[in-house]
Amino acid sequence: MLSDNALMMKVKAGDLDRMGLLFERHYKQLFGFLFRMSSDKEGSEDMVQNVFLRMLKYRNTYKGDGEFKTWMYHLARNVLNDFHKSNTRQPNVSEYDHSIAAEDPSLEKQEEKELINKALSQLNEENREILILSRYQELAYSEIAKILNISEANVRVRIHRAMAQLKTTYLKLAK
Amino acid sequence: MIEYIKGEVSKEEQAAFEKRLAEDKEFKAAFEEEKALWEMLGSVETPTVDPKVKTNFLKSLDIYKEAASSQTSIWLKLKVLWNFQPQLKLSYGLILLCVGLGVGLFFSKNHKAEVASLNTEVSDMKQDMVLSLIENPSATERLRAVSLTSEIKSLDDKVIDALFTTLNYDSNENVRLMTLEALTELADNPRVREGLVKSIVKQTSPLLQTAMADVMLRLQEKSAVKPLQKVLKQDNLNSTVKDKVEETIQKILI
Repeated sequence: MLSDNALMMKVKAGDLDRMGLLFERHYKQLFGFLFRMSSDKEGSEDMVQNVFLRMLKYRNTYKGDGEFKTWMYHLARNVLNDFHKSNTRQPNVSEYDHSIAAEDPSLEKQEEKELINKALSQLNEENREILILSRYQELAYSEIAKILNISEANVRVRIHRAMAQLKTTYLKLAK
Repeated sequence: MIEYIKGEVSKEEQAAFEKRLAEDKEFKAAFEEEKALWEMLGSVETPTVDPKVKTNFLKSLDIYKEAASSQTSIWLKLKVLWNFQPQLKLSYGLILLCVGLGVGLFFSKNHKAEVASLNTEVSDMKQDMVLSLIENPSATERLRAVSLTSEIKSLDDKVIDALFTTLNYDSNENVRLMTLEALTELADNPRVREGLVKSIVKQTSPLLQTAMADVMLRLQEKSAVKPLQKVLKQDNLNSTVKDKVEETIQKILI
């Protein structure tokens, strides 16, 4: 199986069809990141497409010396910034809560999930982003460091800080 | 603690961590709490992505590929149009048009004239499609509208005006960038050239300001010097943009 990097190099060389395969491999994971960062389902679906369209547009700037995933998250963060700048709509948390309620029959568990989700959404953007990258996107510290342009040691510190803030917020909400 | 849970520690660190867990009750309790919070965090699901996202992207990819290639066969044009299925009215119109023209072609001896007429009709429909899509709330649809303009040989003033409205006021930076590219391709038209110069001062995003400076340099547009100087006077101007604009002015004036 061709690596993401090899596929993207083929796209760069003009084999645009390969972008379909890259999309297939990553769009769900990317949607997860964008949705958790924006709490906007429809907006995130739009953003997923924008990220891949940017890849096509800027394919000539892809150097292939790093991980494809890192490049993808760089583009995704730019798209997300544009989205935040142009979108004044309030995040739609109720849509999210409903999806959880439908999937988990246990009331207590459901409440717990709603609370932790609410706590996560109340974190500042820096803390929320690093927890999302680490927990939901399951990225290694080295990958997060490249995406955020910081050192691995700094990733550790930030995750520690974010978890502390999450705990405080969660406990406040649970009272 | 999280690095331990995620397995991002060396063997030595892991051993030291486990030793402390076994010896220090308070540390162990704090770890259990952190682990529970981490697991709770992981239990929150993400909603499912609408399958249309994939379909739409693959359609956009096809359109992008076709726009990138220089093929202009009638079948290709029809195929591109067919991809915009949400515009049912126009699609039905297109089917009727094709049937009508097909019958016409069958009976006609002058095929060349018919093909030319079909080309004009398809071009007109594409222009209508651009005008309809460019006002779509979805940025992806607006991008499609802009990319579709490269398929049209001669653009109406209405479409050009719509492109300038998008360049100057669209909320999405990507759409504005792609529109700038599309308009640059039309810079032989004096109206477009003038519009591009006027648009310089309307751009506030550093990316667009830089791209605009690039375009003016490429066009060697001397009338762009004044608006570019106005940009330099803007408060909080990004330093990279400032350097770029200054360099552009110098190169244009040489």
